[in-house]
Amino acid sequence: MQKSNVEPITDFIGTQVLEPWKGIKKVAQQEYFTSGHRTCQGCESAQIMKLMAKAAGPRSIILGSTGCMYVANTTYYSTPWVIPWMHTQLGSSGSAATGTAAGLRALMRKGKMSKEPINVIAFCGDGGGADMGLSAISAALQHTEYNLLILMYDNESYANTDIQVSGSSPYGANTTFSTPGKVQRIMHRRWKKNTAAMLAAGHPECKYVATICTSSPIEAMNKVRRALSIGGPTFIHSLDPCPKGWDYDPMYSHELGELAIETGIWPLYEVEENTVKLYGKSRQIAKGLRKRKPVREYLERQGRFAHFIDEDFDYFQAKTDEMWEKWLVPGVIPFSNP
Amino acid sequence: MSPPKTATAKKAETEGPGGPSAGSEELISGSEAIAHACRLADVDVITAYPIRPYDTVMQYVSQMISNGQFDCDYIVAESEHSQFEIVKHASTVGARVFVGSSGVGWLYAFEALAVTAGLRLPMVAMVGNRALDDPGAFGVEHNDALAVRDLGWMLCWVATAQEALDTALIAYRVAEDQRVFLPCAISCDGAFLTHSQSIVNVPSQEAVNSFLPPYERGDKLLHPDNPITIAPQANEDWVMEIRRQSDAAMRRARKVLIEAYEDLNAKFGRGGEPFIERYMMEDAEVALVGMGTLAMPVKVAVRKMREQGRKVGFVRVRWFRPFPSEELQQALSEVQAVGVIDRDYGFGSAFHSGVLANDLRSALYPMERRPKIVSFVAGLGGREVSAANVIEITDKVFDAAGGDATSDQDTYWIGVRE
Amino acid sequence: MSTGSVEVVYRGIFQKTLAKNICRGVVFAAKKAGKIGIAFGRYSDSPERNGIPAKQFAVVSDTEEELEEYLSRYEPDNNDVTIAADDTLCKGVESWAWYGLQPINKLLADGGTLLVTSTQSPNRLLSFIHRKGTPYNLALVRSPASFSGLWVYKDDHTDVRLLGALAKVAPHIVSLEAILETIKEQWKDDSKVQSAKKAYGATESHPVSAEQGNEEIPYEFELPGWKDMEEGLVIRGISAEAQSITGRDDGGYVPTRNTTFKKFSTRSMRPVINFDTCTKCTVCWLNCPDTCFDVTPDGFYDANMDACCGCGVCEAVCPVADCITMVNEEAFDGNDGQWEAWNKDKEAYAGWLAEKIANRPPRAHGFHHVGQYAEEVKNESA
Repeated sequence: MQKSNVEPITDFIGTQVLEPWKGIKKVAQQEYFTSGHRTCQGCESAQIMKLMAKAAGPRSIILGSTGCMYVANTTYYSTPWVIPWMHTQLGSSGSAATGTAAGLRALMRKGKMSKEPINVIAFCGDGGGADMGLSAISAALQHTEYNLLILMYDNESYANTDIQVSGSSPYGANTTFSTPGKVQRIMHRRWKKNTAAMLAAGHPECKYVATICTSSPIEAMNKVRRALSIGGPTFIHSLDPCPKGWDYDPMYSHELGELAIETGIWPLYEVEENTVKLYGKSRQIAKGLRKRKPVREYLERQGRFAHFIDEDFDYFQAKTDEMWEKWLVPGVIPFSNP
Repeated sequence: MSPPKTATAKKAETEGPGGPSAGSEELISGSEAIAHACRLADVDVITAYPIRPYDTVMQYVSQMISNGQFDCDYIVAESEHSQFEIVKHASTVGARVFVGSSGVGWLYAFEALAVTAGLRLPMVAMVGNRALDDPGAFGVEHNDALAVRDLGWMLCWVATAQEALDTALIAYRVAEDQRVFLPCAISCDGAFLTHSQSIVNVPSQEAVNSFLPPYERGDKLLHPDNPITIAPQANEDWVMEIRRQSDAAMRRARKVLIEAYEDLNAKFGRGGEPFIERYMMEDAEVALVGMGTLAMPVKVAVRKMREQGRKVGFVRVRWFRPFPSEELQQALSEVQAVGVIDRDYGFGSAFHSGVLANDLRSALYPMERRPKIVSFVAGLGGREVSAANVIEITDKVFDAAGGDATSDQDTYWIGVRE
Repeated sequence: MSTGSVEVVYRGIFQKTLAKNICRGVVFAAKKAGKIGIAFGRYSDSPERNGIPAKQFAVVSDTEEELEEYLSRYEPDNNDVTIAADDTLCKGVESWAWYGLQPINKLLADGGTLLVTSTQSPNRLLSFIHRKGTPYNLALVRSPASFSGLWVYKDDHTDVRLLGALAKVAPHIVSLEAILETIKEQWKDDSKVQSAKKAYGATESHPVSAEQGNEEIPYEFELPGWKDMEEGLVIRGISAEAQSITGRDDGGYVPTRNTTFKKFSTRSMRPVINFDTCTKCTVCWLNCPDTCFDVTPDGFYDANMDACCGCGVCEAVCPVADCITMVNEEAFDGNDGQWEAWNKDKEAYAGWLAEKIANRPPRAHGFHHVGQYAEEVKNESA
């Protein structure tokens, strides 16, 4: 029977069912994003590309908006991608995912392409996602008739263009557009945008939103697999330590991700079918089973905060405490009950 | 809970225009004619965003879909940038796409327009020509579509609703030809074409199927069965070669266009000459040149003047990219002077001329015996160009024909209050 | 009438400020000698990456006319001096922006000088440096490579030491007097003037014959013409087919890799793996951002030395003490796999491993905490 063009693809094609990998030994060996990209030593964004592709598997199409993972990954005439990949514009991750998913759905519905669930993933950096591309991502998350995942790899600056401040840069960070000077110590006074929770709260029909970090690679891959299995438009926000822009020895990429979580600065949570669940160490923190480490332990390890003095650390700590002590949903929703 | 299932649409059999039976006569606007072309081309993905005058086409598309006459993914985007980016990506996985805009909406999508040509994607777009803000004005001006003239878009201007429908079919055939793979924009003058209705022959599905093959992306298809990487970042080692490829594609488009018009004439018994339309050019001493619905008042005036024995003709430029240099050289080789009427402006350009006048000058320059060229700017912001205006223009062209070389070295603004 | 040009090859962000200081110093010093100069980075190397080789240039001339020749160039190819700010760059240079391995001395003029900061012997370095085919000089500044990040600069005087050495090997470009004056003006720090003077005195220069050096032919890449390139900006993805590490059908997993960009010239340290203590936990394999671990038939993880860029994440995440250790790249010849050596002769491998680890210099790859660089400088000068 001919499906109408407003039927959700999940109703007549479905999704790929990607079971979570229980334990590191269960992780697939096959690589779909391989060696020979041109990113920095210790690049956690390249790491999340690898994990994302591994989790999604071979029947996937990846769209990459402008940023490090475009310029440094795919320099013309060679590629690290095994699965199909295409560049999209800086603000277009939402549109790229929607357009690709729409093309596949229309062609399959009309019998012009063999029917199968194909994963469509568009990634963007924090500049492309939290800043320029926000309205297109918001629109994509309203289109429940399509299967698509938007993954925002957040290295907290426009890292590719030489580390300029973005709406996702942490308070006070040194960037080439917010350099501490003789008169102004803190040039960047905006608090980091709460992108994942904003999108989850603002798009009630979006079935899955999660935050991840490369320091928990298996959790990260399983969130990607969950998002793709649930179907519809979904969003994942990944925090990627960036040795270049954050200024630290690349060897400590993994450790800094852990510290971001342990200090409570980066909460790990997923929102599935409108139910929010913190996971990992963030869940322990919320339940009071784990004491948050002082933010200093994280900030002092990075050259981008080397200009901080006590009052800056204190302010950062106070704002982080609020997230866990005052927010309606600790670490997620910044409302408080009257 | 999930929303109620919509009744599965049934394809229109005989009722409504464009059923499998023979073509039908319809009283429709240029916008509606293009909507019919989209239905007949069985377009897969269409994106809309409101801005007048182009948006009327999307109203008709929406109606056809809800009435079950047309099956495509129809997405109302949140901005023109997204509107064009969405179809761009749908095109890479093999979907035939349609999109459009007007005025500043077209420019809001400018980034997407540039990359679509660079990516060699056969997007077909309608531009309902509209003056650029500010001042906000709904009326026709050609500077919106012309803004992309050097980026690798094929650009054409149509004069009637019938031509709009036929040209849309040609656009798909040429843009999707693997020798070309370039996007194509069909310009329809705001109001005069988008909002006025005339009798149009809507061809049958069979006729269209025999003219327009399906879109095959070939080994450029983005699909798990064809694992490719598209559009990595390129440095100075590569960009010139990539631009040269697009240049070669645009050069090849000429031949493919000619083939398409030959086939259209054979199968539909209409379509005329590719690139340009010649009107009363036999034995013409001077010629007027213009694009779009300007043709109407010009033809009226030309007939009047012919009655008075004045040997004037008209050449309507149908395809602006690729620019028909050879055809224009040939058509204008015998006249003494040419008056170019631009419904656009080129502030600060050579002789402060319009865009068409500047390109025509370059095209005719290599001719051994080249006519004088007088440039006119008229009808901006949708202002009417009357037959009287055209006669006023023609008088100046005759003056130039008899006058000295300096007489063609400025641009006249026609119908502007002093 | 003469022009002199200096090429500074360095490890991207880690040495960006260092390279800038050197090039600025050259231009200011030239001005004092009545010459004019320009300084510029190789545009396509920007945005620079951590560790990936990049270049800056300083060109000085007597006249504007002579200088013009250099004003619109990416990469002068006839340099009087090439400075390698890290001696592991002597193994070859592959910028993220191009294809193929460029010998460190490729753009050096005949009879020019390759100036390297190194604690190695000239002969050791010549075992890395590709044979040039024409004679030149190799000069050394005796110090380990100086690395620091984007925001906090490690001022260990490497910049001024190299400037002092430059005056020694290329007085026609900058004189010692001009350099010392410039340093005094720019840094207002007399100890830096002393460091430059000391380096001037200490710099040894060794003639290198046309035939001396590494005989390996560095891999090259030929740029195709527009008719041979696929249209639509399309390139073929990497094959999903994996091979076995041994080339035999005995299991294991080696992913197909980008054959035109290898990335190993980014590496200044490489991991050495103790397969005797490895528990096959797979953590290094899973966490490597460069997918460089090959899975061996017996389930070990062997860092592929063509793909490894030496970030050190594997050492950091390895749960077994001293199982993975980062060792300075100078200590190694070639890119052979370690597992095969271990597999062949476990005892010999253990000895080799112990020797590499014992002799490794301390790691200095950027920012750990505030005040760290000052401490390091104190220890180094002590």
